[in-house]
Amino acid sequence: MCAQNATTREPVWQPYEPCAEMPWNLERVVHLHRRAGFAAPWPRLEHDLAAGPRVAIDGLVRPDQAASGDFELMARTIGDAATASGSAERLKAWWLYRMLLTADPLGERLALMWHNHFATSNRKVQDPVRMREQNELFRKYGRARFGELLAAVLKHPAMLAWLDADSNRQGHPNENLARETMELFTLGIGNYSEQDIKEAARALTGWTIEGNAFALVEARHDAGEKSILGRRGTLSGDDLLRLLLEQPATAKRLAWRICNTLMGEGAIDQSAVAELAESLRAKELDIGWAVETVLRSRLFFSPANMRSRVLGPAEFVVGSLRALELNEPPPSTLLLAEWTARMGQDLFYPPNVGGWNEGRTWLASRMIVARANFAAALAEGRLWHPARQVQIQELARRHGGANDLRQAAVWFAKLFFGNESPANVEEAVAAAEAGASDHSGAHLVALFLARPEYQLA
Amino acid sequence: MLSRRRFLQASSLLSLSPVLPKILENTARAAVAEGDERVLVVVQLDGGNDGLNTVVPFADDAYAKARSKLRLETDKLHKLHDQLALHPSMKGAKQLFDDGRLCIAQGVGYPNPDRSHFRSMRIWQTGSFDDDRHDSYGWLGSALDEVNRDRGDSSAAAVYVGDEQTPVALWARRSEATALARIEDMKLELGPLLTRPTDAAGKDASLEQFVSRQVLTAYAGAETFERRHSLLQSAATKYPDTTLGSRLGLISQLIQSGARARVYYTLQSGYDTHSSQLYTHARLLREFSEGIKAFLDDLKAAKLDDRVVLLAFSEFGRRVNENDSQGTDHGTAGPVFLAGSKVNAGLLGNAPDLVNLADGDLVMQMDFRQIYASLLEDWLGVSQLKVLGMTFAKTRVLAT
Repeated sequence: MCAQNATTREPVWQPYEPCAEMPWNLERVVHLHRRAGFAAPWPRLEHDLAAGPRVAIDGLVRPDQAASGDFELMARTIGDAATASGSAERLKAWWLYRMLLTADPLGERLALMWHNHFATSNRKVQDPVRMREQNELFRKYGRARFGELLAAVLKHPAMLAWLDADSNRQGHPNENLARETMELFTLGIGNYSEQDIKEAARALTGWTIEGNAFALVEARHDAGEKSILGRRGTLSGDDLLRLLLEQPATAKRLAWRICNTLMGEGAIDQSAVAELAESLRAKELDIGWAVETVLRSRLFFSPANMRSRVLGPAEFVVGSLRALELNEPPPSTLLLAEWTARMGQDLFYPPNVGGWNEGRTWLASRMIVARANFAAALAEGRLWHPARQVQIQELARRHGGANDLRQAAVWFAKLFFGNESPANVEEAVAAAEAGASDHSGAHLVALFLARPEYQLA
Repeated sequence: MLSRRRFLQASSLLSLSPVLPKILENTARAAVAEGDERVLVVVQLDGGNDGLNTVVPFADDAYAKARSKLRLETDKLHKLHDQLALHPSMKGAKQLFDDGRLCIAQGVGYPNPDRSHFRSMRIWQTGSFDDDRHDSYGWLGSALDEVNRDRGDSSAAAVYVGDEQTPVALWARRSEATALARIEDMKLELGPLLTRPTDAAGKDASLEQFVSRQVLTAYAGAETFERRHSLLQSAATKYPDTTLGSRLGLISQLIQSGARARVYYTLQSGYDTHSSQLYTHARLLREFSEGIKAFLDDLKAAKLDDRVVLLAFSEFGRRVNENDSQGTDHGTAGPVFLAGSKVNAGLLGNAPDLVNLADGDLVMQMDFRQIYASLLEDWLGVSQLKVLGMTFAKTRVLAT
């Protein structure tokens, strides 16, 4: 059904069905992949266009992992080498390698979302092993019930060290973990009192790290009576987590986080978030269910949600390389990590516990200059060691039958935007011709990447 | 290399666009409105600066006695008055002093001084003696959190200029601190073509308009930045060709380009002079003195000096008595510098008392948090109580 029924109220998150006004076209296929999965190469776009939305979304929410054995093995080798070296730079490179070559791009996108939600910085943790372990939790529980994710992340040494769990002891509370858990990880600001935080900190006393694992030291735990969010009792840390998970505000914050990641600016109103939150409560905060519901929704494919979200640096970098099939052989992911940092997203080093602000804040002048310079580096093959000539013209010829610059521009516009807006094509062609460069196909693609339109997904 | 220059020459469409100048004019005006706030620039003199050979009590016999090898020759010093003088290589600082643009607070430290570089620096950077708080939030990060909370946004931010890790002083719960190491980060290597007419009017323009405007402004800004930067090479105000000089030059460029940061932070390393101190220390102080002189002159020429105050501190001074390696070991209190048109120029506090020492070290006259308190309340406009957790009698480091 395409037309909205005026008399009966449709569910807010009703599924998308192609229709005359909202056809399943290349624009929507591109939209799906740029928003939910670090973009996709041309063969995937063509496949999904032909197969329809159900199959296309199946591919993201239930990826075919059969062929990913070699990838996982290689990724583990790279990760082990990174942690053995103790180098945070190599750890960043490891994650970018995963994003570039994974068969489950939505899984990596969600891991990135959780990295921002539970923003933890190696600046203080100072331990790539712990940072990597935490990152694996984002992958393992990234689509699980939120309660499992929350407990796993909070009771992991990276978070315990980051938020000073060890200095939170009976009689000497440190509110850091309690405050951020309530303000950022679960309830959200305005849904608790300062007294609740004090009492929650007491409930969390005794949590610490022993060896390389979570431990509860009973002697440091304040077993006295507490009152948190109206609940009284000798509440423990685990009791606190249960209590927080029951709160409607937690479901609402979870719904907000998912919508903030998958939906664009102004694409939905508060009532849609509230409705998703309600359903999440009924589904025991099943993250995977909510993600799938959003991706399959009419709202997700509505015009208001198209090109309405600023791509983050990792999405920009990884998406460009995936779409252009420049991920095999992968570029130097160490260099890619430097580039995303220059664009404002230093992986494993979020600016603070609140994470990156995302959205419009990704477009500070210096960050835009970094995006344009990355585009130049990509086009000139400087992302690889040793530098190599990128065969972009050849790609346009193979997939788009492009024999000249203009035809290549038309194909790039389809690959990146799903349509061939004349302004995009004309301006890029004029610029590329003016540039009079030797590898004009590559130059052309750099100009596309630097355009304002490309910054949106 | 994609030929950016050739590209820009050829991109006539850019200059033909009738809409572009208006957009840039609008955003330029907006940038001024956003960027006319007071700015604090912090220079960390890393390693423990020898205060006695910086602001020298040359007339005190005890100085000559304590410093038989490291004593600086009286006739080469830059006299501040008949008792005190600046190190011979601090000509630039002396000019600032005479010009009413330098305030020197003497004997600045804190109770129960710690001689570990690491811990003492953490104390200065967090304003706290609680080790548990030394890895959380810095005094400037907390200050910006307060600014943002009062305003209900996250516009106040800090920039660290340097290769090193962002110092804990800038760590915040919410406010952003970004690091910038290279001038190249501000240069555009690709000249994209931006011709599409964009309506830049209105603060709440659509996302597409916002993105177009941001991108246009960034590219135009990068152009301006590069032009300014090359102009700078030949301008009357020259920055010394030193690490600190180029870092201060970059900070000046950022301020002049309308960046919105309220706090800039950089450091000059090398002050840990345990041996053969004379030459090293002279070089460091020359770099420091010439660097801040060039910086302040540059800002003055740009008519921005009313908006900027520079603070320079070190984690501790050094011992009064030199050691046997023609150097000095870790000590306690030392001078703090404040520079700019708006500082309370002159000397604050007394010349160091070299007779009544504590364990061979200078006794502090002033808690560094008294200076912070003044900068927080009278320059950044935030409550010192909220940032420092206590209330201190403010040292009057700013002109009234």
